Amino acid sequence: MPEAISWQTKMDEALAKAEQQSRPVLLDFFNPG
Amino acid sequence: MDAVTYPNKKVSEYVTENFVPLRIGHDEQPYADQFLVKWTPKLYVLDYKGAAHHDALGFFPPDELVAFLHLGRAKMAFNNDLFEDAVKLFEKLLLESPASGSAPEAVFLHGVSNFKKNHEAAPLKEVYRRLKLEYSQTSWAQRGFPYWNL
Repeated sequence: MPEAISWQTKMDEALAKAEQQSRPVLLDFFNPG
Repeated sequence: MDAVTYPNKKVSEYVTENFVPLRIGHDEQPYADQFLVKWTPKLYVLDYKGAAHHDALGFFPPDELVAFLHLGRAKMAFNNDLFEDAVKLFEKLLLESPASGSAPEAVFLHGVSNFKKNHEAAPLKEVYRRLKLEYSQTSWAQRGFPYWNL
């Protein structure tokens, strides 16, 4: 099995990580059902 | 997306190597209002300031999601005036995913990026030629029409 995507769950933390790593953010709005 | 696309090896590797993945509930405020979320899945490619450079609504199969995300990276470079980087990213997308739904927009923006880089008209004329030849059934072919006689 491939390694699962490790999702961030907080916008502020994701943006800080994006700046630190010079990467964009993939933001997925989802419906947990 | 959870059943088919995100567990796919190509997708998980591409996302892990190139993005900070962030999942938020469709009704979480203030983001649901800020991003006008009315249906899911709703995807965005953001820069570190939170500005959106690419978005889509609905399901993507694995190969289409990779192409969509690659286009998002290229558009972010384009929007930040990094035209050399943008050209390389658009070219890679067109080489690896020429039949994807993201390809026609990549052809268009590849030509515009080359024009912005060199200020020569030839890349824009190539936009028209390639869209008419390879993607004539898409709306992007119409958008390239003004460049036919440059």
